[in-house]
Formats: sequence, structure tokens, C-alpha cells
Amino acid sequence: MSTARYDILRVRVTAKDADTLRALLREVRPDVGGTPTRGPDGRYSIDAYVPSDQVAALKRVGVTVEEVENASEAGRLAQAQVGEGDRFAPADAYPHGLAVKVRD
Amino acid sequence: MSYLNINEVESAVVSLSTAFPSLTGLIDLPERSVEGRMSHALRIGAESLAPKDCVVLTGGLHAREWGSCEVLVHLAADLLEAYDSHAGLAYGGTTFTADQVQRVLNELDLVVFPLVNPDGRRYSQTVDPMWRKNRNPANSGGHPRCIGVDINRNFDFLFDFATAFAPTAGPHVSADPCDLQVYEGPHAFSEPETRNVRWLLDEFPWTRWFVDVHSHAEDMLFVWGDDENQSIEPDMNFRNPFFDGKRGVAGDLAYAEFIEKSDADNAALLAEQFCQGLHGVRGRTYKPMSGFHLYPTSGTSDDYAFSRHFVDPEKGKILAFTIEWGESFQPLWPEMEQIVLDVDAGLVQFCLAAL
Repeated sequence: MSTARYDILRVRVTAKDADTLRALLREVRPDVGGTPTRGPDGRYSIDAYVPSDQVAALKRVGVTVEEVENASEAGRLAQAQVGEGDRFAPADAYPHGLAVKVRD
Repeated sequence: MSYLNINEVESAVVSLSTAFPSLTGLIDLPERSVEGRMSHALRIGAESLAPKDCVVLTGGLHAREWGSCEVLVHLAADLLEAYDSHAGLAYGGTTFTADQVQRVLNELDLVVFPLVNPDGRRYSQTVDPMWRKNRNPANSGGHPRCIGVDINRNFDFLFDFATAFAPTAGPHVSADPCDLQVYEGPHAFSEPETRNVRWLLDEFPWTRWFVDVHSHAEDMLFVWGDDENQSIEPDMNFRNPFFDGKRGVAGDLAYAEFIEKSDADNAALLAEQFCQGLHGVRGRTYKPMSGFHLYPTSGTSDDYAFSRHFVDPEKGKILAFTIEWGESFQPLWPEMEQIVLDVDAGLVQFCLAAL
């Protein structure tokens, strides 16, 4: 997978213990998604969004960094799912919500 | 259907006000965005001679969290259409009767402001999908990478984080304009988008609840975000300079933020109700917890909303929350539709529990 210089990668940071992960997060302050989770092996993981040129800063003894996806690339693909024009421009058009309207 | 572009979010709000004139009021936000865009919010609720308790819901503060706008647009549309036709609402396995829908709009006003940061959303949807901040170039020094302020760090709550927090706390905020994600801006409320949210809270003084929609973590957060909560020492609070340099460290005895026990209990109860309503849709499990347990922060919308009544006793108390929906910022639209159902079911349950 090729990455532009400033693409954002979603990476999973896994540390041998909570203290190691806490120290890493305090020092590097990456853009994290969610809260740490504890695996069955006792190690702690968290997902982070990191510019591709800064992933190396996360690596250290007791920590593994695994690329989950190129979030920028995934986002560029998602841009194709954005509406074009204005679906509510016609005078009688308005959003209807996604819930089913039910009679009691 | 697919994600709404910024013109469609605006158009959706305006079209709902046109389609349901007796149940809505279109609100012109006073400030244009940095790039000059107008914004609208929508008040929904049955007419009432007496003022009603109000829930203010905001979304789209963070540009890349696209689905937040859809969550709020569809919530408004569901409630209006169901109320108008005396129908109930079914969100997967979570259902609400017609009477429950009537109660929500008869007894509450909901103020829905789905897109606080239109410039950022446009940039995220057309250029850099991971963009989070607004598009203010004022502090960038001409560097494109240094454009923008994080709207959800620009509110007036412990804005001087370097003084307020312990050196080891590591709050998720930055005073560096080139921080890609969490630059707080030159001063609190420096950004027009932030001032629009403050204006809404001022304009609707009967607001008792505030919900800001974000992603992602599958959490329902309640205050506080700067430290753990405590209900024992009222003087241990964000206004007390004695505790400067001590905030934001988990598990210590040096500081915890004060909240009345009844407020803490109510906040936890409402967050739990939200999560229960959401869980019933298709079994997703969101965690209710205080914002601090996600990570320590300053300048966020929810802490500002709740802090107002401490700073100015003339202002009403607002229990404030942040939803962190989903597991990614821009899920494929079919999954986002399911998330909209999840979160909107949670929000209707939240409103019913608040009554």
C-alpha cells in the first residue's frame, strides 16, 4: 500500500502492560480512537491515527505497532459516498428519518 | 441515500421547518463560519404557552466525523413525522409508542444544530478526509498544515490547560497551531463556530440537557472531562487556583472535579438509559462513563455547558453529554445507517428518561 507523505494511518498500539501504554500515550500524545482494551494475554491495546511519517515515534521496547489501515486512503474512497447536488432542493422534498413509523 | 454534503445538511434543516411549520422553528445562527457560510438550527416541539425544558443537540464540530450530522437530521425527521402522523417509532428491536413520541415533543423542546463546522466538513468530504478542525488560517503562518482550530477544545473550560493540569496529565489539547488535531485556538471562543454553540445555550435559557455527537469509541460520556468526579469537596473545583497544576491525573488523591451527587447520579442514569435504548436496536454495547475516562481534556463543549451554572449562578444547570458513535470516522454508508438507528434510538430513550 503506497502512502502520501502526510497520509494518516490507523495503527494498533499494543503494550506489554498498562504502565507502558500510559507512558507512551503521555509522551507521544497520538490521536487515539476509543479507550485501551486488555487482551487475554494481559497486554493493552489502543488504536491511534498517526501521520505516516510519525509511526516510528511510537515504536519502543515492550510496544508493537500494527497498521490496521491507511485511514486517509479509506476516507478518500468514502468521499465517493457523499451526495452530490441537493436532494432536498425540490419544494416537496425533506428527510424522512430511518426509523419505521408504526401504528400502535 | 448516502452521506449528506454541507448544502444538503442545511437544506435538510430548512426543508423540515417548511414541512412541519407548526412543530418547528428555524434558527439563524448569528455568526458565519470562517469561510463565510451561514448555519441553521431547528427547534422542534409542540407549541406551548409556557416555556418547556429544552435539550440542545449539536453535531459536526469535528469535520471528519461525518455521520454525526446524519444522526441529528434523521432524529429530527423521525420525531416530526411520527408526531405529525400519531405514529410510533421502530428502531430495530427498540420501539417507542405514539404516546411516547407525543410526550417527547409535547413536554420538551429539542434544538438540533447538526453542522457546527461546515467549512471543515466540506474540506473533509472533498479534500482531506481525516481533517478534524475548522478552516481558520489566522494562526497558520501560511502553512497549509497549520490551518484550523479544534472547535471542541475552544470552549471556555480550563482553557489555560498548561496552568490547570499536572505536568504528567497529558490532556488531549495543544497550544501549537500546527497540531493537526487538537489546537485549542488563541483564546476561548476565538472561533465563530464555537460562539454559535454558546449563543444557542444563551438563547435557550430553559436548556437542561446538552448532547454533542462525535465519533468514535462507542461510548456515552458525561461530565467531567478534566479529572475524575467527586461529590465530597465543593471547593475542589475548576475555578479554584489552589489546585492548578494538580488536575488530570488518574487514580491520585490530589484532585478530582466536584459535581453534586444528585447531578452525578442523574448524568449516569441518563447515559445508561441512552445505552439501553441503543443496545435494543441490534445489540451494540456502548459504555456510559465520564469523559475523563476516555482521556483528559480541556475546552470541550460538554464541560463548558455544565460549568456555566458554577461560573454564573444566573444561568440554568445543564447536564451535558458527548456521544462517541461507531468504530471508525467514515463507515460505509450501509453501516452508518445502522449506527444512525442505534444512536437515534438511544437519544429518544434519553429524552423519555429526562422527562
